[in-house]
Amino acid sequence: MANSGSGGLLPQLGGCAEHRADNLVRLGLSPDRWDVLVALAGNPNVGKSTVFNALTGLRQHTGNWPGKTIVRAEGAFAHRGSRIKLVDLPGTYSLQAGSADEEVARDFLLFGRPDVTVVVVDATRLERNLHLVLQILGITDRVVVFLNLMDEARRHGVAVDAARLEKELGVPVVAGSARNRVGIDELLDAAHRVAAGEVRTTPFRLVRHAPPVERAVTALSETVEARFPRVANSRWVAERLLNADDAVVTAVRSGELGQIGADADSDTGSAGDAGNEASAGGRAEPPAPEAAREQVLQKARQLQWDLPPDFHDTVTERTYHAAQRIAEGAMRRGLGRAGFDLDRRLDGLLTSRWLGFPLMLAILAVVFWLTIEGANVPSSMLATLLIDTVHPWLIGIGEALRMPWWLSGFLFDGIYLATAWVIAVMLPPMAIFFPLFTLLEDFGYLPRVAFNLDSLFRRAGAHGKQALTMCMGFGCNAAGVVSTRIIDSPRERLIAIITNNFSLCNGRWPTQILIASIFIGALAPAHLAGLVSAAAVVGIAVLGIAMMLAASWLLSRTVLRGEATSFSLELPPYRPPRVLQTLYTSVIDRTLIVLWRAVLFAVPAGAVIWLISNVSFGDASLAAHSVEWLDGPGLLIGLNGVILLAYIVAIPANEIVIPTVLMLTVLTANVAGAGQGAGVMFELDSTDATGDLLRAGGWTLLTAVNLMLFSLLHNPCSTTIYTIYKETRSARWTTVAALLPVAMGVTVCFLLTQIWRLLA
Amino acid sequence: MPDPVLALLVFALLAAAAVGLFWPAGGLVGRIRRFTDLDERVRLEDAIKHIYMCQRARQRCSLDSLAGRLGVSRARAATLISRLAELRLVRTPGTGPALTEDGERSAVQIVRTHRMWERYLADRTGVPAGEWHTEAERMEHALSAAQVDALDARLGHPVWDPHGDPIPTPAGEMPPEPGFGLPGAEPGRTVEVLHLEDEPREIYDALLESGLSLGARLEILERTDRAIRLRSHGRTWDLDPVTAANVTVRYLAEDEAADTTQATLLDAPPGRTVRVASISRACQGAQRRRLLDLGLVPGTAVTPELTSAAGDPIAYRIRGALIALRRTQAGLIWIESPDAPAPQEAV
Repeated sequence: MANSGSGGLLPQLGGCAEHRADNLVRLGLSPDRWDVLVALAGNPNVGKSTVFNALTGLRQHTGNWPGKTIVRAEGAFAHRGSRIKLVDLPGTYSLQAGSADEEVARDFLLFGRPDVTVVVVDATRLERNLHLVLQILGITDRVVVFLNLMDEARRHGVAVDAARLEKELGVPVVAGSARNRVGIDELLDAAHRVAAGEVRTTPFRLVRHAPPVERAVTALSETVEARFPRVANSRWVAERLLNADDAVVTAVRSGELGQIGADADSDTGSAGDAGNEASAGGRAEPPAPEAAREQVLQKARQLQWDLPPDFHDTVTERTYHAAQRIAEGAMRRGLGRAGFDLDRRLDGLLTSRWLGFPLMLAILAVVFWLTIEGANVPSSMLATLLIDTVHPWLIGIGEALRMPWWLSGFLFDGIYLATAWVIAVMLPPMAIFFPLFTLLEDFGYLPRVAFNLDSLFRRAGAHGKQALTMCMGFGCNAAGVVSTRIIDSPRERLIAIITNNFSLCNGRWPTQILIASIFIGALAPAHLAGLVSAAAVVGIAVLGIAMMLAASWLLSRTVLRGEATSFSLELPPYRPPRVLQTLYTSVIDRTLIVLWRAVLFAVPAGAVIWLISNVSFGDASLAAHSVEWLDGPGLLIGLNGVILLAYIVAIPANEIVIPTVLMLTVLTANVAGAGQGAGVMFELDSTDATGDLLRAGGWTLLTAVNLMLFSLLHNPCSTTIYTIYKETRSARWTTVAALLPVAMGVTVCFLLTQIWRLLA
Repeated sequence: MPDPVLALLVFALLAAAAVGLFWPAGGLVGRIRRFTDLDERVRLEDAIKHIYMCQRARQRCSLDSLAGRLGVSRARAATLISRLAELRLVRTPGTGPALTEDGERSAVQIVRTHRMWERYLADRTGVPAGEWHTEAERMEHALSAAQVDALDARLGHPVWDPHGDPIPTPAGEMPPEPGFGLPGAEPGRTVEVLHLEDEPREIYDALLESGLSLGARLEILERTDRAIRLRSHGRTWDLDPVTAANVTVRYLAEDEAADTTQATLLDAPPGRTVRVASISRACQGAQRRRLLDLGLVPGTAVTPELTSAAGDPIAYRIRGALIALRRTQAGLIWIESPDAPAPQEAV
């Protein structure tokens, strides 16, 4: 057995490596090669991602994005000649597996069996953080504690005695500040030494429980020892079984238990590994027979019956008391005046009864204004490049290659132009909005928004954190849907997913602004026109919020019945945002991925638009037939056939609605001198010219108002629908999410139109 | 262009029709569904469950009790029994219907589904306690054994349902049910509630109304033929013996104390540090665990620091972090009286 991984630096990569690799792939890790596997754990808001970036040197994609990967982020780097793989686990307060995040973290520590786990601890909140550290020490010995935010602690008049903490916890403790790269090298060294087995850890473990619990643990650990003689830490296994820890139950049932037990106690770690998974020489010991394994579970079940119902309570209580004792021993206060005075004053302002809401609206308005204003120039530059320069050039190439007209039309006028349009319209605002949003997030303002808005959402039967996902939806609904993962109750999460579309997203802002300035701004005197149209757009956005609340209320009174469940939200201390890093991560993680998805969906849309304009039945194109057919229902709800058709073909991407409307208007209204031919989307240089064209197409003020309403209240774009499906895994809820807003939009437009006509 | 008045009228009619059809409480679709829910299979399953419950309670089961329980005629009950006998789920010796081994297995599965679903509603949703049973009555016929097992794993293999009834394992095992009826408790002693019978609904609602919850600790002040006088958290009230008979309790052990705290976190004045006494036992499952994980264990110092612009939630400084809790949650956390000597100021 000696050959199985005991040689060299890395004792754990021997016989069990193959099995563990399977587990890791199952846990969502990409299966590349590494020498040392490091897990990064910690409470939320302790600067874990800063440590991650400090370690990987920002060279890694720190994706916090959907998909089946349940591991939050991973990165790789080299240290002292070994390849290190770093896995960032979700930030949690506990490992009791109450939420999806906690399950991910716990499962990774149990089955991913990292060579070392770095627990990031906030030095200003030692006690709270130690609660998690103690739980992790119950699972694994290979732990290094990183005392982060030592500088912040000093500012608040708290000093932590790292040496004392190290002695109490029995594992290496490194103090530092990841933001300033203090202590990072020491952390790497310590982690490396623990992974290599150079440091012998003696982790702190809670030994004695309250009497009834203690009796059960002792009885069960005896049974475990009798059935699995090679399991090292039978007490730990017994505790987990009494906790009905499903992972451990499964491990017992399948006979995999030996491994987990072995890893939980490094004293016999390599022996346990070898015994269970000796690769070459066959199994040293057959797993306990199935009957014996079931007997262990049976015993656990019976003992569980005798446990007091507040078993969980007492375990948590004891852990916290231990954490409190250790923290009090290691903290030195009184170096300066303790407190968070600036934070308190800022909080008093931002959540005050009178100023809270106006300040919130003002901040959001500034973000939108910066997005809209800032995006103008780069958007038109991109449009000039992609549409005015590259497009004719591509057509030229087509001619040079003697492509038939339909092929070059289909490829360049259809597919290329739609894609170019989406990029030109979408990329600049997103590249401005997402970083701004991330800065607010980093600063700590967004939790305050949720804090202020919670009571509105509570009354609608929704979760307070839905306010956060709503804000995210202003950037992009697909991103908003993904961000609902922070809501841990399934019912409220579903509500947040279904109603996210009521946040007016970036793809729809341009439509709102254009139509508002043509039709509504024109009602006001010239010097007020800009202000009036801006107010109209903000009004639509606020109406969206109202609709979101109304829809949430409706859902929680009907199909998703139930009261709002618990809600707890940490309001982290304000921290100066890291501008450069924010730019980097939000551009990579949010902007580019959202854009990529939009492009994927714009391609078929472009093809369809070109085809329906150029394929003819009888004397008119498919588009003309459809417009004629849709005119009836369109006019009934105050729109027209052109708009409805544009919305149908623009399901993939809202950005192409206006160009499609213009193209179809020219096609059907026979306006001379405008446009570039059937199936070619275009936009006019001046707002006035656009207005003239639309009026020629039969548009009135009513049409414009209805279009603005319909743009807010219609089905989500296909990117969002796809994301909703991926997040809910339910065709039924995806359908509800797609059709509910359309139904509301049609109803609202219909009622407005009929009442308008009645009064006019 | 249609006349707007006509269009609006048509719309109003359509909307009224839609509400009439789909409104969950009284809608036609809902009614039809409820009617078809009561099909043959559901009746048979309900009958098995009834016989099983009788056997467990060592009561005699008869056609009358079955007819009464299911709300059907005696003749219909007799048809159900003979149908169950055909399926070899029930034997009919002279002493009244009894379950066969197969019958008992199906009955245990139904009970398991019912109680597991109640546990799920209590732990993971905000469905009010009064509705758990009704919802579970519906779901017990709808979930497959595999779905129940998956739920079991997700909920961490619970042993008890939220009323204090044991949840059978897949093999049908259940722990013995401990305790005795509340009317039997001696005055002057303190008891803990182990079980609240959820049927009939009226009595259960009355129990909830009187503020009882699983795990509540009650001081028995006085016992007469007409009422039992109880005290908990400083509140004194009377319970009539009929209602009290639906409560199972046990005497407290020597090291356990009665619930005497009278203030919740909501009573803590802003900026004043108070200490947590306990989390109300009405708060169960994932919600309770979340509060505990935040560090709200007995003895923890908590300071109300910030109120939201809308008045709710309130942010508390708990073990160094600022954490917002809704008022309904803060009301579930008992504190040591804020007038007691103030503990050391926490940062």
